[in-house]
Amino acid sequence: MLRVKNLHAHYGRIKALENVSLHVYSNEIVSLIGANGAGKTTILNAISGLIPCTQGEIYCEKTKINNLSAEKIVAVGISQVPEGRQIFAPLTVLENLELGAYLRFKKKEKDSIREDLEGIFRLFPRLEERNKQIAGTLSGGEQQMLAIGRALMARPKLLLLDEPSMGLAPLVTKDIMNTISALRDSGVTILIVEQNAQASLKISDRGYVLETGRVILQGSSVDLLNDSDVKRAYLGKDYKTFWEGRDTN
Amino acid sequence: MKSFNGNNEKMNRDELEQLQLEQLQSTLNRAYKNVPFYKKQFDLLGIDTSTLSSVQQIKDLPFTTRQDLANNYPYDLFAVPLRDIVRISPSAGTTAKPLVVGYTKGDLKARNTVTARFLAAGGVVDTDIVQICLNPGLSSWGRALKEGAENIGASVMPMTHMSTSKQLMAMKDYRTSVLLTTPSYAMHILEVIKDTNIETSNLALKAILVLGGPLDPDWRNRLERVLDISLTAGYGLSDVTAPGIGFECHEKNGLHISEDYFMLEIIDPGTGDVCLPGKYGEVVLTTLTARAFPLIRFRTGDLASIKDDLCPCGRSFVRISEITGHTGEVLTIAGVKVHPAQIEHILKTVSGKTPPRFLIRLYKENFLDMVEIWLEITETIFSDEVKLVENSLKHLRRQVFQMLGLEVSIRLVEASTIEQHDLPSGGVIDDR
Repeated sequence: MLRVKNLHAHYGRIKALENVSLHVYSNEIVSLIGANGAGKTTILNAISGLIPCTQGEIYCEKTKINNLSAEKIVAVGISQVPEGRQIFAPLTVLENLELGAYLRFKKKEKDSIREDLEGIFRLFPRLEERNKQIAGTLSGGEQQMLAIGRALMARPKLLLLDEPSMGLAPLVTKDIMNTISALRDSGVTILIVEQNAQASLKISDRGYVLETGRVILQGSSVDLLNDSDVKRAYLGKDYKTFWEGRDTN
Repeated sequence: MKSFNGNNEKMNRDELEQLQLEQLQSTLNRAYKNVPFYKKQFDLLGIDTSTLSSVQQIKDLPFTTRQDLANNYPYDLFAVPLRDIVRISPSAGTTAKPLVVGYTKGDLKARNTVTARFLAAGGVVDTDIVQICLNPGLSSWGRALKEGAENIGASVMPMTHMSTSKQLMAMKDYRTSVLLTTPSYAMHILEVIKDTNIETSNLALKAILVLGGPLDPDWRNRLERVLDISLTAGYGLSDVTAPGIGFECHEKNGLHISEDYFMLEIIDPGTGDVCLPGKYGEVVLTTLTARAFPLIRFRTGDLASIKDDLCPCGRSFVRISEITGHTGEVLTIAGVKVHPAQIEHILKTVSGKTPPRFLIRLYKENFLDMVEIWLEITETIFSDEVKLVENSLKHLRRQVFQMLGLEVSIRLVEASTIEQHDLPSGGVIDDR
């Protein structure tokens, strides 16, 4: 579905990504994990065309997308749910969702848009209950649901999720993660960026671990969840010496 | 096709190459960050690992040799803190210093998968009774094979030091269905079966999987015909990695390399250039998933060639020919890699002074590799008292066994006998 090869990206003169390669198979959930500033969001932004990549290739199925504009990338079938939801706070829930289908309105797909709206309300009954409510007054979890729902309105093949659990209570996080799992069951492929490595690896098939703009590890989620390095990165603890804990003196 | 995890084995080449590229990039990132040896080497040569954009570019990286491993003995090539290591696996290596390889839990899991693949391709299933017969020098393989077979769910009789007749008794009484051994030991067993008049129809054996030695096509034919079994071969390094890096499928036409765990190159041992398919050269391996002990372009010393035609079995993994020999002076004796300098080192330790001149004679007895060390009679080890001489020879034999896991016999010879052969001390007479 998605194939990234040797991706480099810069913020000004600062290297943000160095030679990142990764792939996502159709109908997979793949996690990108790593500490703050490791380059996780940069990868998503590069894929969705929000920032330019200085080198490398990004393919969605057979289409090379790394020099396309952001809206063309949406048309190819990739939608991003940005960090911090970034919903349109003064608009209603329904209006937010309709904006997600912006490209399709132009194509006069009104009937199918209505069907999709119903689908999203089935997935998130809470959004239907509140479809007239001003989005800014929703709770954090509801806003995240709305942000995901809005992205789904573009009928993406690949959904990019940036920190969906950010600022949410553990129970709500669990809810959101379950929903993401259900989305995959409905046929969407998902690439998810998370600080909460544990939560996202639990629902993922595979994962990549990033450190200062480079991939330092990849593997199945089960392997990564049991990996001492990942546990350390996640807990932010590192051994001070090679011998720590095993030094018999 | 029988396989352990078929999806990866049949992955299309395009996907496989992407996977290898990703794994290679992260392996380089980890090695550069965590292993001072690799950092120093790359910095010295001005190699920026973040510019590697295709698997083919691996050819620009420096090699790692057994000497490098010895120089960094014991722990300097480890890429994770000792706390993460769950297995420390020593082996004799081929220099004066032994080698130590570490494994994390994940590394052992990966090794088990690779080993299980080799076993499954040879026909091992969960209902099998698997018997492992290897000599003590191959004990790291013994462990890996045991774990790999257990991973499949078979009942495993681990490597045990027993006479061949006892092994055969176990094979008959325990209803062993799969034998894991070396080619020469398989032939030796066949001889003993003949000598002891065991009815082959009384054996439940259905497959033999061999490792660690050249497999003569005639041997394969004889074993398959007489014992009514299927014989497949595997390839691995006894000192640094898993026994099933390469494995034959039922087509028995070359060894598939587990390319999702190892990157394979064949290079010209003289120039270091990459060889084209079909051309014989040295096998060079790069680990793609190893956490504790990453190896980048490790020169194995084994000679083989790549077969790049598609295998009818459906696996996409590239195949290599059988190992046809070794570079340099390294000898393979009963599957164990030995450098003559190791024997010299043991002699030096035992005699405490300048070691006497010696030759190594290799020959076959009943298909088994035998080693005879010809020692020049000098005063350094030997005295007039027969008892003392006997003791020091016994000590020497024990030392060789302890260091290399090989049983050797020692023959005392006149200086003239050594000179007749026109070889330097440590020279090898290979009568196999």
